[in-house]
Amino acid sequence: MSSDLLPAAPHTVEEWVRSYEGGGPLRGLRCPACGLITATWGLACPRCAHIGLVEHELPQVGKVVAFTLLTVPGDEFLNDAPYAYVVVELDGGGRITGWMPSVKTVDGLTIGERVRFVSSYRPGVQFARESEAPDAGRAA
Amino acid sequence: MRETWVVGAASNRFGKMKETGREAATRVSLAAIEASGLSPKDIGYTFVSNCFGIAEHQAHVGPLINGGLGIPEVPSCTIESACSSSSAALHEAFVQVAGGFVDAALVVGAEKLSHLDTLAATSYFATAADYAFETKNGATFPGLYATLASAYLAAHPTTPEMLGAIAVKNHANAARNPHAHFQKEISMATYLSSPIIASPLRLYDCCPFSDGAAAVVVAAKEFVKSPRSEPLVVRASARAGSITEMQDRPDLLGLPASQTAGAKAFRQAHMEPRDIDFAEVHDCFTIAEALALEDLGFFPRGQGARAAMDGLTTRDGKLPVNSSGGLKAKGHPVSATGVSQVVEVFEQFNGLAPGREVPRTQTALTHNVGATGGSCSVHIFSRR
Repeated sequence: MSSDLLPAAPHTVEEWVRSYEGGGPLRGLRCPACGLITATWGLACPRCAHIGLVEHELPQVGKVVAFTLLTVPGDEFLNDAPYAYVVVELDGGGRITGWMPSVKTVDGLTIGERVRFVSSYRPGVQFARESEAPDAGRAA
Repeated sequence: MRETWVVGAASNRFGKMKETGREAATRVSLAAIEASGLSPKDIGYTFVSNCFGIAEHQAHVGPLINGGLGIPEVPSCTIESACSSSSAALHEAFVQVAGGFVDAALVVGAEKLSHLDTLAATSYFATAADYAFETKNGATFPGLYATLASAYLAAHPTTPEMLGAIAVKNHANAARNPHAHFQKEISMATYLSSPIIASPLRLYDCCPFSDGAAAVVVAAKEFVKSPRSEPLVVRASARAGSITEMQDRPDLLGLPASQTAGAKAFRQAHMEPRDIDFAEVHDCFTIAEALALEDLGFFPRGQGARAAMDGLTTRDGKLPVNSSGGLKAKGHPVSATGVSQVVEVFEQFNGLAPGREVPRTQTALTHNVGATGGSCSVHIFSRR
């Protein structure tokens, strides 16, 4: 198969990651066959293997479905610990993982809490509690 | 398919090695071959795992090991599947031997990371997650498993003492295992007073960074005329994969790859969970043992975490789990872990586990996970 016959990816992984640092959009993909919404780059649906995912901008608000407070961070987050690592279920479907530097204690966050994506000019998908999130990070 | 046996096994002591991974791998390989009663010249293929060999500035270590064993002409292949690397290598060796391509194969895993500081070692481990979509979002390995623990605790009534009982049990077993990194028991009070690393996981919920090496020899029944030791008959060798990223998993209350690989293995072996006498499962964190027991069908959903506290998985329990001490206390030299689980089965079958014997040794299961479940291997063994 020549490269021009391969399914096109709407964006590169690098473009997705850079968009997180610049305040969005939160890029995602939707499977027209099964309806899966994913925040992970790929060429085929991870659930039904359909080839031909379509670009889908993810909502920037949702609720925490699981989280941990990390006191021993990875090397890119050395000066940020402690912080929360979160799995967020986005309004309208799809889940995305991210980090919350504003959470400094284990009881500083609860499952089910509403959060919003914020612009950080730092690596990764950064969230803040919806009540605390600055306007700069809000979706247009 | 030919009946395939594990005929020899060896491990060094996990912890901090002075020698290189290459030296340790060669040493345990020769010990495993000697234990099998075969000679290096009988080996038809060598499968090597050395996931983080690059940390020692060494890739393509297979030919170096074979050269050190006096069999440089034997083909070798490096298998990488994160923490399940050497169980993946065992699967490939099984395929070669059972399929009749070679009569005997060597499987060896080795890892050395102790020359790195904790930050560097943590970062090496994190490369097995999705770098762009997990690590760049702040994930570490304890963090990823802690996130699973958070989901588990939200879904099932779970006390700190339940996870603590897993740590206490596995330390008690490791205290009786000369291969173990931590050969000391811990009390529940010690567990509960240990610091939080990634909530809700404490220091004593986490496996250590360990150096180590382990090897097994796999051979066709028809090739081994008179085995030196009681062989392990490979009843099943199954692998499975699943979505790596937690953001795309339908639920966080188990590892789909464990469920799939376990079901495949039980089908291959024509067995059910109740037929297994003891198990070595992937307990890189205490929550991982709980999930494994549920994913493999040994306990219902929500009951895996309390099994140790209820005495069901201690050496004298209904299903002894991690009699070696597990990754949690025996240690977790990433690429040696999968094979070292089989070393424990070999030692239990051959009466080579004094002080930590399990009461029934007709059948055993090993379960080895790659990273947070992107890969999984399950093997089932029995006596002849």
